Amino acid sequence: MKHVIEIKMGCLEIITNETEELKTFVGSCVAICLFDLVSHVAGMAHVMLPRKSDGKQSAIKNDIGKYADEALSYMICDMIQKGADPKRIKAKMAGGATIFAHESETGLFNVGPRNVISLKQILKENNIPLVSEDTGENFGRWVRFDLNSGTMIITSNLKKFEKII
Amino acid sequence: MSTNYNDLQKLNSVLDSFIVHKTIPALGTMLGEIIMHSIKKTHEMSITNLDLIISDLEEMNVMSAVYIKCDGDLHMGALLYLPENESKTLASKLLGRTILNELEGITPSSISEIGNILTASIINAISDNTGYKIYSSVPGYAVEFFRTLLEAVVSDFGNESGALIVSHVEFHGLKSGIMVHMLLIQNPSEVKLMI
Repeated sequence: MKHVIEIKMGCLEIITNETEELKTFVGSCVAICLFDLVSHVAGMAHVMLPRKSDGKQSAIKNDIGKYADEALSYMICDMIQKGADPKRIKAKMAGGATIFAHESETGLFNVGPRNVISLKQILKENNIPLVSEDTGENFGRWVRFDLNSGTMIITSNLKKFEKII
Repeated sequence: MSTNYNDLQKLNSVLDSFIVHKTIPALGTMLGEIIMHSIKKTHEMSITNLDLIISDLEEMNVMSAVYIKCDGDLHMGALLYLPENESKTLASKLLGRTILNELEGITPSSISEIGNILTASIINAISDNTGYKIYSSVPGYAVEFFRTLLEAVVSDFGNESGALIVSHVEFHGLKSGIMVHMLLIQNPSEVKLMI
């Protein structure tokens, strides 16, 4: 039986124990996982927004996963400290939905797609390959990441599916 | 948490007064019936504790929802929601005919209109009482579980502090039995502007 660690909104966790599993729920937010399966180090962040506007480091460790740029920077450093090889780190992500539709296309409520674009850009800047993703659409997703297999399991209560990426 | 109990109580009273004088008459006129309401709670919560306001009922039912974001001198998010099956009853009442097809485009439009009018009634009341200029977005419509709706609203509202002031209002149509919920979301730093 895996010990499940639930990642709250705007938070992140790094694990090194294969008996642990990371889990979160995302709608327009994105669950981004970085992992090095050789060193058995993985992290998951629940990213809410694309960039931190003031550039200042968050004082509260609790919401270090809130902004895409800050979350990835923190995860990469912490994973390397815990033994990950930067050349082996890969990424998977899910979420970034546009939950609210509106009749006129004004660009409002599109934080989900903006989160996805921002994360892809930051991954590229850090030479981290995005090996798979399940993003976009208009529904919420439960996301689990298993360090042992490197699989991300995505379920939607609304659409009634389970997907492994 | 930065907002003290007295300020939360004052905010509750101010919102209640706005709802009584503006929102209830607007909703009553639209639905053609007497509307009762209650503000279940106004409290400050961390965005990491959203589970605290997700009830079992809301976890299990798909909701029709409308989200409107207000910007200007004051920032506010308004999420109106009700179980999807009841939303068809509400739309039927507004349109004066039975909604047969759940995909009928008129249902989202009519629910969005209710969200628009209820939110406008509250921001008009705030403007009348404070002089603040507040602008509302176009309504966004969704059909999803409450957890997804809440996550999207909190993410979109996206304040820096990691905490939100949340007021949960219930509107109840006495004749039809329709129950409409509304969450009003504010920045803790702006509570003093309202009270």
